[in-house]
Amino acid sequence: MLRARVAIPVVVVILAIVAIVAFVATRGGTTMKPQAAASPSTATATPTAKLDTPTAVVLSGLQNSSVGLQAGGNYMTGTLGLVAQPAPPTVPPGSVYAVGPYPLYTAQLADGPGKELVLGYCQTCHSVTYITMQPPLPANTWAAEVNKMIQTYGAVIPDDAAKQIIAYLQSHYTPETRK
Amino acid sequence: MAEKHERLGWLGRGIQRRRFLQGAGILAATGALSGLLEAAAAQETGPVQEPIPSFTGPGPNPYWNSVSPYAVYPQKVPLLRLTDRPVQLETPRHYFLTPLTPNAAFFVRYHLDVIPNAVDLSTWRLHVEGNVENPLALSLPELLKLEATKLVAVNQCSGNSRSRFQPRVAGGQWGNGAMGCAEWLGVRLRTLLDMAKPKSGTVQIQFQGLDSGKGPEGKGSHAFLKSLDLTDPVIDQCLVAYAMNGEPLPMLNGFPVRLIVPGKFATYWVKHLTWIRALTQEDSNFWMASAYKIPDTPNGSTTPDAVAAGTVKMVPIGKVNMPVRSFIIVPDGTVPLVAGVPTEVRGIAFSGSGRVVKVEVSTDDGKTWVTAQLGDDLGPYAFRTWSWTWTPEQPGQYTLAVRATDEKGNTQTDEGVWNPGGYLWNKIERQPVTVLQNH
Repeated sequence: MLRARVAIPVVVVILAIVAIVAFVATRGGTTMKPQAAASPSTATATPTAKLDTPTAVVLSGLQNSSVGLQAGGNYMTGTLGLVAQPAPPTVPPGSVYAVGPYPLYTAQLADGPGKELVLGYCQTCHSVTYITMQPPLPANTWAAEVNKMIQTYGAVIPDDAAKQIIAYLQSHYTPETRK
Repeated sequence: MAEKHERLGWLGRGIQRRRFLQGAGILAATGALSGLLEAAAAQETGPVQEPIPSFTGPGPNPYWNSVSPYAVYPQKVPLLRLTDRPVQLETPRHYFLTPLTPNAAFFVRYHLDVIPNAVDLSTWRLHVEGNVENPLALSLPELLKLEATKLVAVNQCSGNSRSRFQPRVAGGQWGNGAMGCAEWLGVRLRTLLDMAKPKSGTVQIQFQGLDSGKGPEGKGSHAFLKSLDLTDPVIDQCLVAYAMNGEPLPMLNGFPVRLIVPGKFATYWVKHLTWIRALTQEDSNFWMASAYKIPDTPNGSTTPDAVAAGTVKMVPIGKVNMPVRSFIIVPDGTVPLVAGVPTEVRGIAFSGSGRVVKVEVSTDDGKTWVTAQLGDDLGPYAFRTWSWTWTPEQPGQYTLAVRATDEKGNTQTDEGVWNPGGYLWNKIERQPVTVLQNH
C-alpha cells in the first residue's frame, strides 16, 4: 500500500517546514506521512539533505522511514470534554455541614406543541432530563408513565393537559419519532 | 483522495471535507506536497472528535457506562450525570480498578429532589421510634460512643446496567457504573434495636432519611421509605455508618449517617438516615408495595407478555441478594493491544451471596476459559479484584469475556434478564479488543 518516495531534496524539506508551520498555525496539527517502503536500504538512502540546523535534523529524523511516526501534533478546537472547574468552597466554623447548590444541567426538549406544559407540570418534581435520558419508548409506555405520575405519585395535572403532555412525548420520544 | 483516505485507514475516516479543502488552498499556495495534503486529511480525523450520542435505543446501550455527559457536583470528581434533579450520577469505568471506590467518584442516586445541602449537627438526632419500649434520639457524639464496627461492602443500584435490557424499560438508563465498594464504619443496627427494644408485634423496621419530595403527603413523591423484616437475618449485618473509606460520608452519599445492608441492593441503604421505626404492620408505602419489585422467579426474569397478562407474582427486591457479577475494566477497547506484548486484563467481581472464589476470562467470546488471579480478600461483601496477563500472539479482533463464581456456587451465564423494573442484570460481560500486528 505504501507508495515509493525515495529521495527528498533539501528544498522540499524546507518547503515542508514552511508548509507544516503554516498548517499548524491555521489548523493546529499535522500528520507524519509514511515514507517509502520500509526496507533498510531505502531508509539509509533517504537522508541526502544537509542537516545543519536542529529543526532540520528533527524533521528529517521524524520523516525517516525507519521511525514509524504517522501522526502528531493533532489538536482540535471546541469545548468537547471540558467541564468548568468550580472554585473551592470556603468552610465556616460551627456545627453545620454544608455543601453548595447542586447544579442543574437540564437538557433541551424537542420543540413542539405541549412542550410548555411538560416544562410546567413535569418539572414540579423532576427536571426534564428524566425524559431525554430515556431510550425511545413505545407510545403506550409514555402514556403509562404520565398516568403513573398522576395516579401513583399524585401529580396534579388536569386531564386536558395530561393528554397534551402524552401527545407531546409520543410525538418526539418514541422509536418512530425520536431524533 | 479516496485512495489516500483508504491508505490512511482509521486516520482517514471522518474527514470533514469542507474544512480539508480550506486547508488545501493554503498549502497549494505554498506549492507544497501531496504528502502534506494527506497530513491535512489526517489531522481532521481521529476517534475522539465526536461527543457520545445523547441517548441509546431502542437497541441495548453498547457502551460500558451510560452515555451521560460529565458533570461536577459538590465533593465529587466529574461523574456521568444521568439526571440533575433529583441527582443521579454514574461512576466512570476506570474507577473500578481498585477494590475500594473513592468517595469522590462514588455513584449517586436520589429518588426525590429535596436533597440536603446543609445539616446542623447540633440539632440532628437519629430517632429510633415506633413500636419500641425505649424511644431514642441519639446525637452524633452519642453514636460515636457506641461500639464501632468496620465492614467493606458493595453498594449497587438495583437498576445498574438497566440500559442493557431488551426490550428497553423506562427508568434510570445506567451503564455499569451505578455501583461502588467502600469501607464503612459505624454502629450495628442491632445495637440500636437492643437499646430501643422493639415491642412484641413488631414485623418490620422502617428507615427514612432527610431527603424528601414535593409530591403530596402519603405518596411516593413525598417521602422515600424502605423497610426490612425484623426476622430478616440481614438485620444483624446492617450498620448505621458515619464514615466511608475513613472519612465522613459525602453529602450526596448520605451525610451524616446511612444504612449499610450488606449483600442487598442500594435501595435499602437509606441515606441521611434519621428515622428508624418499628412497624406493627407490613410497610405499604409506595417504595415497598409498588416500586423495586421483582418477579418471584429463580433469577427474577420474566417476559413482557407475561407482565402484560398479569400472571407474574412480584416481590420486593430485598427478598434476594445481589447476583454475582464481574467486569472487565482494562483493556477497555479504546486502545489497541499489540501482538507479542503482554497486557494485564483486570477487573472486579462481587456477589451478594458471599465471597467470589473464581473468576474466569475468555479471549474467544466465551468458548474457552482460563482462571484469573484474585486480588486481596476484603470480606464477603467486597469487590474482589482480579487480573490475568494475556500475550496475544496473532493480530486481529478478539472478544474478551469474564465470569465469576461465588462461594455458594452461583455463577454467570449468557442468558440476559428481563423484568419490567430493569433490575438484577448480571449477564456475562464482554469486551471487544483489537490486536495490532507488531511488524
